[in-house]
Amino acid sequence: MNTVPDNLKTPLVELLLTVADDKLMLGHRNSDWTGLAPILEEDIAFSSLAQDEIAHAAEFYKLAADLLESDPDKLAYGRKPDEYRCAAVVELPDEFDWSVAIARQFFCDHFDLLRLERLAGSSYKPLAALAKRLVAEERVHVEHADRWIRHLGGGDDDARQKTQAALDKLAPHAAMLFEPTIGQSELEAAGVYPAGKRDMFEQWSADLCAVAKDADVRLEVSRPPAGASGGRSGKHSQAFAGLLDEMCEVYRIEPEAAW
Amino acid sequence: MSKVRECVPERTGELDFPVEGDFKHYEVFTQLEHGKRHVHAGHVDAPDPRMALLYARQHYGRDEPCVNMWVVPSDAILSANDDQDVIWPRTDQSYRHVRGYKDIRSRWKEFRRECDIEEYQKEDLKEAF
Repeated sequence: MNTVPDNLKTPLVELLLTVADDKLMLGHRNSDWTGLAPILEEDIAFSSLAQDEIAHAAEFYKLAADLLESDPDKLAYGRKPDEYRCAAVVELPDEFDWSVAIARQFFCDHFDLLRLERLAGSSYKPLAALAKRLVAEERVHVEHADRWIRHLGGGDDDARQKTQAALDKLAPHAAMLFEPTIGQSELEAAGVYPAGKRDMFEQWSADLCAVAKDADVRLEVSRPPAGASGGRSGKHSQAFAGLLDEMCEVYRIEPEAAW
Repeated sequence: MSKVRECVPERTGELDFPVEGDFKHYEVFTQLEHGKRHVHAGHVDAPDPRMALLYARQHYGRDEPCVNMWVVPSDAILSANDDQDVIWPRTDQSYRHVRGYKDIRSRWKEFRRECDIEEYQKEDLKEAF
């Protein structure tokens, strides 16, 4: 279908904003590493991957803006903190600890890939077409994260311990990526957000653990506690408002400006 | 620039980053159109070939559309240098260059004008040219 029934419009906007907000915040966080990543090659690559995330986000904001008859920039930069739907793991500061940045990438990229694969089968055609286009790029992101985890885990004791600490620190937050978006079950029932071949959490957990095993690090992930509400319901960390203020600083000076 | 960058922790002490240990040099070749040859684009340093390809994609695959890419470990390339190893012959072998055949058509025209065309056909050379 090319149009959405009225009753699914709000749930679909929730889902689109969730995907877009995750990617925008992750891209924004990663862009802080420009000039600071451990080696020159990685510096350029990490900044380039951050731009991918922001470009992906822009596409999802555009779909949401079409449904809302709004403007993608307004959605990206013009909402209040509790209107954002990103998960806690993309908001957390990494304090310029490379292993934390890579661990965050590892959890999020694997999640993003599975989510895009599901969306590629959506009955809402514009969404399916977009997801199909982005899946190949997301696979590159996953490969990047996996290789780093393997290299760090297979490195010296210092590298492995730091990676272990980063995975332990982020795992509980990463679980909240799976917090259902508002109205998600209606979208699933209608085939707008179809289930994958295998339960998404099980697949995610299996994919992550396979890489962790190779990298000789421990990894335990669990589903979010039933009824837990976080980013998907607009509940964010204390630091989030500050992060947002900074990201939207230029936009807010002149929201109507044409760029 | 983000405010969080004001809190970048100071790195103290000597960096124990391996000078070359983990990294290798890779040459990057890009193909800009199907059917066209790959052209040397530059190089990257990377810990393994897959990572080299990943870096190459981000470094050399973003400025213009690129349809295929190769990475080759630099130490897999054996090279000869004309200064020492002689690539270009030191004697006159200009007869080897195809430019000798460049005016063949006009020469034939000239020849046929001069000769009796009928005679030339009898020689049975027409089949050959």
